Amino acid sequence: MARVLFAWELGGDLGHARRIFEVANGLRALGHDTAFAFQDLLATGTLATPVAWYQAPLLAAPKDAQPGAPLSHSVVLLNRGFGDALSVAGATRAWFGIFHLWKPDILVVDYAPGALIAARAAGLRHAAIGSGFSTPPPQDPMPTLRSWMPAEPAALQRADAALLAGVRGGVERAGATRGVPLQASDVFRVEANLLCTWPEIDPFGPRDGADYIGPQDDPSNGKPMAWRGSSRPRLFAYLKARDPRFASLLESIARLPGESIVVALGLPPAQAAARSTSTMQLVAEPAALEPLLAEADLCLCHSGPGTVAHALAAGVPLALLPQQFEQYLVARKVVDAGAGVMLEPDVPSPDFAGWLAAAAVNGTLRQAASTSPLRGRRKRSAAERLAAMIAA
Amino acid sequence: MARIAFAWEMGGEYGHVMSCAGLASGLAAHGHRIAFMFRELRQLSVVPEARDYDVFQAPRCAREGVGMDMPVGYVDIMQGCGYADARELTGLVGGWRSLLSGWKPDMVVADFSPTALLAARSLGLPRVTYGNGFFVPPRSTPLPPFRFDAPVDLARLARTEQSVLANVNGALPRFGAKPLARLAELFEADEHFICTFPELDHYGTRETSGYWGPRVRFDRGTDIAWPEGPGKRIFVYVKTNLPLLDPLLEVLAASPHRVVAYIPGLDEGRRRKFATRRRIVSDKPVKLERFLRECDLLVSHGGEISVGALMYGVPSLVFPTHYEQYATACRLEQLQTGVWLGPGATPDLVPRGLNGALDPRRAEIARTFAKRYTAFWPMEQRRRIIIRIEEILRGRGAILSPPSSQGIHG
Repeated sequence: MARVLFAWELGGDLGHARRIFEVANGLRALGHDTAFAFQDLLATGTLATPVAWYQAPLLAAPKDAQPGAPLSHSVVLLNRGFGDALSVAGATRAWFGIFHLWKPDILVVDYAPGALIAARAAGLRHAAIGSGFSTPPPQDPMPTLRSWMPAEPAALQRADAALLAGVRGGVERAGATRGVPLQASDVFRVEANLLCTWPEIDPFGPRDGADYIGPQDDPSNGKPMAWRGSSRPRLFAYLKARDPRFASLLESIARLPGESIVVALGLPPAQAAARSTSTMQLVAEPAALEPLLAEADLCLCHSGPGTVAHALAAGVPLALLPQQFEQYLVARKVVDAGAGVMLEPDVPSPDFAGWLAAAAVNGTLRQAASTSPLRGRRKRSAAERLAAMIAA
Repeated sequence: MARIAFAWEMGGEYGHVMSCAGLASGLAAHGHRIAFMFRELRQLSVVPEARDYDVFQAPRCAREGVGMDMPVGYVDIMQGCGYADARELTGLVGGWRSLLSGWKPDMVVADFSPTALLAARSLGLPRVTYGNGFFVPPRSTPLPPFRFDAPVDLARLARTEQSVLANVNGALPRFGAKPLARLAELFEADEHFICTFPELDHYGTRETSGYWGPRVRFDRGTDIAWPEGPGKRIFVYVKTNLPLLDPLLEVLAASPHRVVAYIPGLDEGRRRKFATRRRIVSDKPVKLERFLRECDLLVSHGGEISVGALMYGVPSLVFPTHYEQYATACRLEQLQTGVWLGPGATPDLVPRGLNGALDPRRAEIARTFAKRYTAFWPMEQRRRIIIRIEEILRGRGAILSPPSSQGIHG
């Protein structure tokens, strides 16, 4: 049986860790051994299984990070220190250290570019899982992430050159003789790209050279909840309590006609109970989405690809409040398909109640959502795909 | 030969890496195998001797310092570095345990690394601490505050300690390890190499600890000769984010003194304006060994270099940027070998600070002080630390060649 090391380096919150655990459980059930190298070890602290975990090597944050929406994925990596050969060299050596200690047969990355760089240099087999954003199509120049703005080919090339110099220099300093990238796209190349999303909401989709297997979480997992009455519209909201808009959002939701269920991650459970009303159930823990979405009229969320995919699979239109860039790109896809509306993060004091009330009864949105190509689409198991790859 | 893992978990900059590399190279010369488990890995570029060592990323709290107030005691720092949540601490301890149980060191050398100490303890590994007085607290219950310049809410500090201890004891059972009765037990080690002078210990003096002298590296860097001519010899080692950098450079430029400055990342405009025949701006770290013997004043932020300079009888002008440096600055002031200017100081105070620091009485006191501690001379200190480490290893059953057959290497 194989030893599978999972790596997660970039991207906040616990979505990456959850997806990895889901896939790792599947692989363990198939008899494989797993270990984790994470940028944030909080998630591993709750693991009950006797597995090894490591701190993912960290790069020094650059002083000249470019603010705002990144131009391309090369800029994303430059902003995280990958343009600095000394930093890349240190991290690469530390990845070699983990490879040497745990001796994986294969590396599976969920947004872990440093681990990929080291795996190529160490000749370690590797595959990527992720929501699409984290594995951009390897092209030269790397494609723009700001498709709505005029093309900037020179700037794209400059970013690629800076990234290539940092990664090449780092890998060479770490003593690697193979797997040295020759162009920026080589930094992003993976042996197998298992996209845990669908082409219709992949920021780079549809595309070739990738395997769309759908979100890996099971939407029937979570706290069982149910709609209480028969009044409509029904709003299901999946929110982060630390979002600066959360307080006014919650107030607006409480005033909506019909019924609502709000999952607010990060809210103290006592507060959730205290702020619930007769028409608004507020909980602080993940709820089982499937039964709720099956009878919802609108899904409000931050446009995480998993929630978006589950809502569209159930034919529910979306009201989207992206918090970060990946979510923004997913939201644009949904809006372009007519199945959702988005409030951009920089809209000052928006009228949430009006926006939500209108979206909940918008027939055009509902029509687009109910005929979404994602309707009823089922995931394929990443664990089985990886197991097949290992066996091949 | 033994396997020795160096752990560096908290703090920043180059001092930890340089000091660990210095001691490690001495141990490697004795045939020991070295691993560096470091918080920051970029700095490995300044220690080429580490090329043959195994390198690992030290576990690091992803929410470090979030919501943290000005710390007044060690437990406050712990609280901001993963000890506020038993789950997070479980993740960090587990990360250290994977490294230690995988690499199998015979000894862990912990530089400002409480969680490495905790993990090593849970695995029954021999361990020593290595660092200045700030990096390991006196092992009393409760742990004492290090803040001495403002009233400390001891009851609040005791509550934080209780909460930190509860989280430690929440994490340990996951690994089948026994809980701690007191937080001070976390810091139990086979030896504490407290690398400072007792007079400069951030906590004041402490019981049951030896002092081993400053550990700053004097044998590294570019050889630079002092500019010829009259005037005092002033070495400036500060960072560009010093708010009073421009007034400092102006005052030095207007003075009759000779200056060597190492200001990493100094822009070309400032460099060109400041550098003359009497004022050298180095773009690389300066080798301090001979250089400091002829130095009349060190201008720094109050890191370990200011303690090291005292070894050479050199007084200091200090611009502290955080509490550890501030505490050093205050101790230097108490000894009358230093003057400091805090972050709130105004530009008009710079000339006064400089003149005060150059007062010949300070130089005299610094020279007298240095004479008391000749055993702390860097090479001698390293030799003694290595002897002690090997003594502990032998006591723990490691098979080493007899001490008489070993030359002492630098």
